[in-house]
Amino acid sequence: MKNLDSVFAAYLIGWGIFFVFSLSVAKRAAGLKEELGRLKERLQDSARQGK
Amino acid sequence: MAKTGVYTFLVCVLMGVTAYASFYIAPTESTMGLVQRIFYLHAPSGMVSLMAFLISCIGSVAYILTRKPKWDWLAVSSAEVGVAFCTVVLLTGPIWAHPAWGVWWAWDARLTSTLVLWLLYVAFLILRTMIDDADRRALVSAFFGVFTFLDVPLVYGSIWWWRTQHPQPVVFTSAGLDPTMRKVFYLSWLSLTCLMALLIRQRYELESSREELRTLEQELEAT
Amino acid sequence: MRLLANTTALLGKELQTEFRSRELLITTMFFVLTVITLFSITFDAAVSDPRNVGPGLLWLAILFSSSLMLQPCFLKERTNDTLSALRLSIGDPFAIFLAKLVANVCLLLVTELLALPIFAVFFNVKIMRVFPQLMLVFLLGSIGIAVTGTALSAISSQARMRELLLPMLLLPLLVPILLASTEATAALLGDSPALRWDWMAILAAFDVVFLTALWLFGEYLLEE
Repeated sequence: MKNLDSVFAAYLIGWGIFFVFSLSVAKRAAGLKEELGRLKERLQDSARQGK
Repeated sequence: MAKTGVYTFLVCVLMGVTAYASFYIAPTESTMGLVQRIFYLHAPSGMVSLMAFLISCIGSVAYILTRKPKWDWLAVSSAEVGVAFCTVVLLTGPIWAHPAWGVWWAWDARLTSTLVLWLLYVAFLILRTMIDDADRRALVSAFFGVFTFLDVPLVYGSIWWWRTQHPQPVVFTSAGLDPTMRKVFYLSWLSLTCLMALLIRQRYELESSREELRTLEQELEAT
Repeated sequence: MRLLANTTALLGKELQTEFRSRELLITTMFFVLTVITLFSITFDAAVSDPRNVGPGLLWLAILFSSSLMLQPCFLKERTNDTLSALRLSIGDPFAIFLAKLVANVCLLLVTELLALPIFAVFFNVKIMRVFPQLMLVFLLGSIGIAVTGTALSAISSQARMRELLLPMLLLPLLVPILLASTEATAALLGDSPALRWDWMAILAAFDVVFLTALWLFGEYLLEE
């Protein structure tokens, strides 16, 4: 079937863009969660020290 | 958390069903053949991107009026998702055009308008990277967001009218859709809309986490 | 009526500042000419009838020049720190925008008027027989450019890389103006000149929409 590769390419690229977008957001979110966890710990530590 | 997981799974299932429908259920188009099936990804993506930009404009207006950061988060999230869908339109277009018509690009009304739309919202996103202060960035980009969305009907209208005055052979036709094709088209539109909501939600959570981080950092500095 | 009084006072100052030195006007004028020349050289070999591309090139030149000419509009207020003084002395922020807007329209119109005869010579078009209609097209087009450009100047003056940012933001926004003005101008300069009310309507709609948006939301742009 001619042009099947074009159709596949189109769907691959389309879904690929959505997937890459979602993945990049997820990666950044994971990094942020880590950072947040660390900061929360530091805050708890300094609160304990302050008492 | 579990709700998001369930929703994500449902969206994936929906997308899978749509793909199956696009490839096997929809009848083959007579003139363009197999390659016309790209239409079921190309056209609904365009409509979904417009929906995303509308949401972004609502966020921008709401931010200007209320100054609540969550509206700015909505504005930028939906703008980014809109740009993603717009990119899909602009990439699937040439992939459709080349086998069907022998040209990579055609300055037809829809593709030209989509290109200008893409440029406008990429400009919106670039503007945001050029302002460091969060509140100022939110306000200024909200204003530009409103301006940009107001321009959308004018861009589409003027380009459509221009093409009506100077007609060119129609490349991306959706005319003469038979009922099954129409059903697959609506299915695809539905699944892409659900995907849009999922992606906006995901991106929105990222912004909200960033804000949480900022607040915590300020708290830490205060102690 | 206070709006009118405030606007007129500020407008006087804006026009006076510019026409005292005339540097913005002269520089813009020559930039328009340079762009027209460069475009003409590029397209000369490619097209059989240069009159077809003429109006488009003219409006492209105007658009590019205005995206540079509108930079100092709010930038000079920020660099000289006069914006807060302006806001204090003139209560209504829309008056500030209106004054700058009218000044920019005047500047654009003068530039276009000076460029028009040279354009007519370069492209062998008859402008005198359609001069009033041409002026109407230029007026509506310039208002559209000035409204968006003035607002965007206020935006870009608050950002980094403002010299590149303003054109990048402004030019896609002005696609309807570019299209409508080019078509209207081409119709007037063609073999059977006619004023195209459909394109004029698009120009007018653009002007009204963005002027209203500026009136509704403009004050937030001038917040410190």
